Amino acid sequence: MLPNSSSISLLISNILIPIAVLVFATGFFPYKPFIPGLATYQSLEYGDPPEAPFDKVIFMVVDALRSDFVYSVNSGFSFTQSLIRSGVALPFTAHASSPTITMPRVKAMTTGSVPSFLDVILNFAESDTTSTLAHQDTWLAQLKAKRGGRLVMYGDDTWLKLFPETFTRADGTSSFFVSDFTEVDNNVTRHVPEELNASDWNAMIMHYLGLDHIGHKAGPLSPNMIPKQVEMDRIVEQIYHAIETKSHLKSTIFILCGDHGMNDGGNHGGSGAGETSPALVFMSPKLKSIAKKKQSPTVPLSAFHYYTLVEQSDIAPTLAGLLGFPIPLNNLGVFIPDFLPLWNNGNDRVQLLLRNALQILNIVKMTFSQQAFDNPFAKLDCSDPTSSGTELACKWRRVTDIYRGMEGFKPKPESILPALTAFCKSAQSIMSSTASNYDVSRLLLGIGLAGASAAFALIHMLLDPKTITISATGTQYSLVIALYGIMMFASSYVEEEQHFWYWTTSFWFMYLGIVESRHSQTGLPKKSLGLLLFHRIVVRWNQTGQKHAGAPDIAHFLLSYPVLIWTLVISTYLTLSYFVYRDYVRRLTGDFERAMARLSVAWLSLVAIFFKFAFVARDAPELLGWFPESGVEWLLLLPLVKLARGIFAGCFFGVLWLGYWEGMHIRTGQPAALAQSLHNLLSLIILTQTRTQNIPLFFIFTVMANLIARLPLISFQRTLSIILLTHTSFFSLGNSNAISSIDLSNAYNGVSGYNVIAVGILVFISNWAGPIWWTTTSNLISNQSLALDDVRRKTKENDRRNGKNWILREREHLASLAERASDENVSPSPQEPNKTISTPQQFLFIHHVALLTFFTSVSLLAIMIACTALRTHLFIWTVFSPKYLYAMAWCMGHHIFINIGLGGLMWWVGKMDIKTKKRA
Amino acid sequence: MSSTTTVTRPTEPSTIALPIEPLATDFAKIYIHIHPFLLLSLYIYRFDAIVGDPVSTLPTLLVGSVGLQLVYILTCLPPTTAGTKSNPPMLAKIGLKKKRTKQNEQGYGDKVIPAVLSLILTALLGVPLIYIFVVLFGGPLTTHFLHTFFCAAHIAFLAVLPLVYVFGVDSGRWRELAGLLIPLDDVVGGALGTVFGAWVGAVPIPLDWDREWQKWPVTIVTGAYGGYVMGKLLGGQILKGKVIEI
Repeated sequence: MLPNSSSISLLISNILIPIAVLVFATGFFPYKPFIPGLATYQSLEYGDPPEAPFDKVIFMVVDALRSDFVYSVNSGFSFTQSLIRSGVALPFTAHASSPTITMPRVKAMTTGSVPSFLDVILNFAESDTTSTLAHQDTWLAQLKAKRGGRLVMYGDDTWLKLFPETFTRADGTSSFFVSDFTEVDNNVTRHVPEELNASDWNAMIMHYLGLDHIGHKAGPLSPNMIPKQVEMDRIVEQIYHAIETKSHLKSTIFILCGDHGMNDGGNHGGSGAGETSPALVFMSPKLKSIAKKKQSPTVPLSAFHYYTLVEQSDIAPTLAGLLGFPIPLNNLGVFIPDFLPLWNNGNDRVQLLLRNALQILNIVKMTFSQQAFDNPFAKLDCSDPTSSGTELACKWRRVTDIYRGMEGFKPKPESILPALTAFCKSAQSIMSSTASNYDVSRLLLGIGLAGASAAFALIHMLLDPKTITISATGTQYSLVIALYGIMMFASSYVEEEQHFWYWTTSFWFMYLGIVESRHSQTGLPKKSLGLLLFHRIVVRWNQTGQKHAGAPDIAHFLLSYPVLIWTLVISTYLTLSYFVYRDYVRRLTGDFERAMARLSVAWLSLVAIFFKFAFVARDAPELLGWFPESGVEWLLLLPLVKLARGIFAGCFFGVLWLGYWEGMHIRTGQPAALAQSLHNLLSLIILTQTRTQNIPLFFIFTVMANLIARLPLISFQRTLSIILLTHTSFFSLGNSNAISSIDLSNAYNGVSGYNVIAVGILVFISNWAGPIWWTTTSNLISNQSLALDDVRRKTKENDRRNGKNWILREREHLASLAERASDENVSPSPQEPNKTISTPQQFLFIHHVALLTFFTSVSLLAIMIACTALRTHLFIWTVFSPKYLYAMAWCMGHHIFINIGLGGLMWWVGKMDIKTKKRA
Repeated sequence: MSSTTTVTRPTEPSTIALPIEPLATDFAKIYIHIHPFLLLSLYIYRFDAIVGDPVSTLPTLLVGSVGLQLVYILTCLPPTTAGTKSNPPMLAKIGLKKKRTKQNEQGYGDKVIPAVLSLILTALLGVPLIYIFVVLFGGPLTTHFLHTFFCAAHIAFLAVLPLVYVFGVDSGRWRELAGLLIPLDDVVGGALGTVFGAWVGAVPIPLDWDREWQKWPVTIVTGAYGGYVMGKLLGGQILKGKVIEI
């Protein structure tokens, strides 16, 4: 087929989609330039930097340590609370800005900067070199650069990835299994005694993961939570006693903190008060001189806000002052003023804050071009500062004015300190809100490109008028696109997007019921009613969205009946295995060959089922409570990586064999259905990548796909069904537009090391399992032979029994329409002798792609406009930016690779099927 | 008062049912226009109370609505047998050969009995059926039983009651309705409008405005009443006699 102008415009439309996505992303998630190199002390009139009270730091991170876990009445940290009461511990609530996930938080705590949203993506692609802090200025780098600087690290291997070749001794733990509450922490704790005896290091970092795992698994009220807090408190006690008693540790500042908090469901990532309020405690006997005795346990001032509120980034400059090293270059934190009394000389205090201010000024000058930062005599109107740049310049002018007024003498600390603090604080808040960093021209260019993509898709439809028809289906297709676009501007609809798809899909099934009713003998649309019923079950499977997060749903109901859930899971696996088995056996004739096929399919299915059991034994052992203990132990011995690889390899060889067989036998005229066979093997991979409690959903999907395939629909209606069902299935599997709902539990199936591409693909498959499944089904349910056969058979029966009435006429009309459409589609139709009887309507892939492309580009356009128009909106980082990330995955991952790539492959294979059938 | 429901018939046998003509009485001609607005006014009058306490307000409102609906069907609509006359082949096909008597005169007895039967059928079959559909379309199953029940009852007495009154147990007509192979009129328009309105009524529920009226099932019932009025206006007046293309 020669490419004509309509296919070319569709091609252009699809090429423009990824370009638009990337251009917009570079403007929306600007890559923040950082100042390279290590900071050094600059010379000031104040002379050498003040002497540091501490020379060592023990930095103990407890993942997801929310403020109330340490400070409230229901806390297991009784020893830590006693330290607060006796005045040797300074407690804070450290505000962690969104996204509240580990890697950006570690970056904030070590560099003092505010990580850009880009770090969210990099958090999932951790090995990416751009995200390491090897070349950035951090307090770790500064401590290592000190004379005799040696660092040790135990715990979450995020630190090892962020700081390659930084640690003298390290033992990283990775969090593969969220059900691991003890092993991950014992792995850290066992190093503590020997390190406390060693005197060669000046920084020890520990990162405990167990508490976060408990949160993810069962929420903050889990019965495991208090024992875990007690365990952490024991370690605090152990370390604090060592500091008190061992002479080489006497000048050690001991910090206990969380990297982020958690919400009431035990998850994190967003900007809820619980998620952004981790605890932060500084402990040392030396603090007795400055710390006021505080009440502990206590009540929060507001939700999760205990004691003084500081920013997480303040940790870096505070450590710089306490340990005596230059503040890291990219720092936006402010030295915590509670520690200033450690220095008796007022000028030392001024010097600390002045160095802090000068360092921040350096960054401010890179963003704002006001002359006033360099020239204290430049004209500056401070009566009503209009821009944030001017506001900062005015705050800085106050500092310089005080110095100028002293004519060479040092100003009194009480007069200069407030001015310095005011400047630092506003610089921190202004520079932290990245609003000024959008590259609006790129945003507009991205919008333009997405608009062009939509326009080209539209041009294609106008040039090829068969794509879209002015009909009820056309109206509904247009309405879905229009409503979806409008919805992107309302934050609650973005958060609760699932309702839109559930709602439109149920209407669509009712519409299909009307269509079906016109074609059915009794007028009763049984298949559509079935679809509606299954749809209702599907949408209740997982509660998703923000508003009712944690409400009861079928998946959680099933989790309390493990035997029931396993029955459903195994039934799903067995059904699928039967399909795969049937695919092979019907291609084979010899008894021996058939026996071999039986054996290999049985083996593959067993591997797949045992993988699930072995995975669950590690990830959710409570689901195997009914299982004999020795059996669980045996399951724990099974090698997960090898099992997963076995499944993937089995499917791969299965596909190879099918391809080989079809290549050899294309002329034998057997009903090939290669597409169906490939879909079945792919389903096995999808089940492997699906959370156990969601596996039965694919059984329901299979039933639904079969019902749709048997409905008398035209291909436009099939395409719209696929659009609706891909989205419905995405949300029904528990996904949402929030970062916290990304499922990483199956990210490492079959991967032993860290391979960013493999993990990326596995994460995509496990989160887009539903959409991928429905896309590969689209080809099958678009093969209309089943439906047409149904209609024809009934028509004939009717003809025999009764005279013609209007229903029959209507039916015949539709059948002939479908046939006419199929004649147009199947290529060598003029030569076909029997075309009016048995030509199944071929699914016109280009029409299908055109409709999907138009939907994708218009929705992308709407999201882009919403993100641009609402870029100063309160929820831009919590609602719209995550939505854009999801849109990127939908457009690039799902549309380009799945809809067009995989869908195209299935269509090509399906075409082979039809040719084979015709020869038959 | 004599009605003239059987006078004008197209000479050639029609394959598609005719729209239902309201009775030609003076009262009917006026009341058919007032009725939807009376219902809507009653609903708006009770709206705040519904928002405040749906479970106790919805049933009392239902009494009023059913009363108005009864007035409407008794005074404005031809009862079931009149409607079926338009489609004899259908009856023949499904073997429901009814003995048909010419009904030029219709006393109140002829109307009251079908009306009472419609009322019973709607309550016994319509309400449970609509309840099932409300749940299928996303209504709560395990909670809010009474909320959903009264919501379904309102939809049923708005949409189903007049349909039962004019269609009776003529499965052919119901089947045409299922396939939307039926011309729009006051009754069909009102029914479709109610269902569609109830569906659209779900739209504001996910918004984070946290208003009382967003709670189940206030928006659904509101949508149903609004849709009923709109559907009657469109089906009974503007698009009367047209068949919806699907």
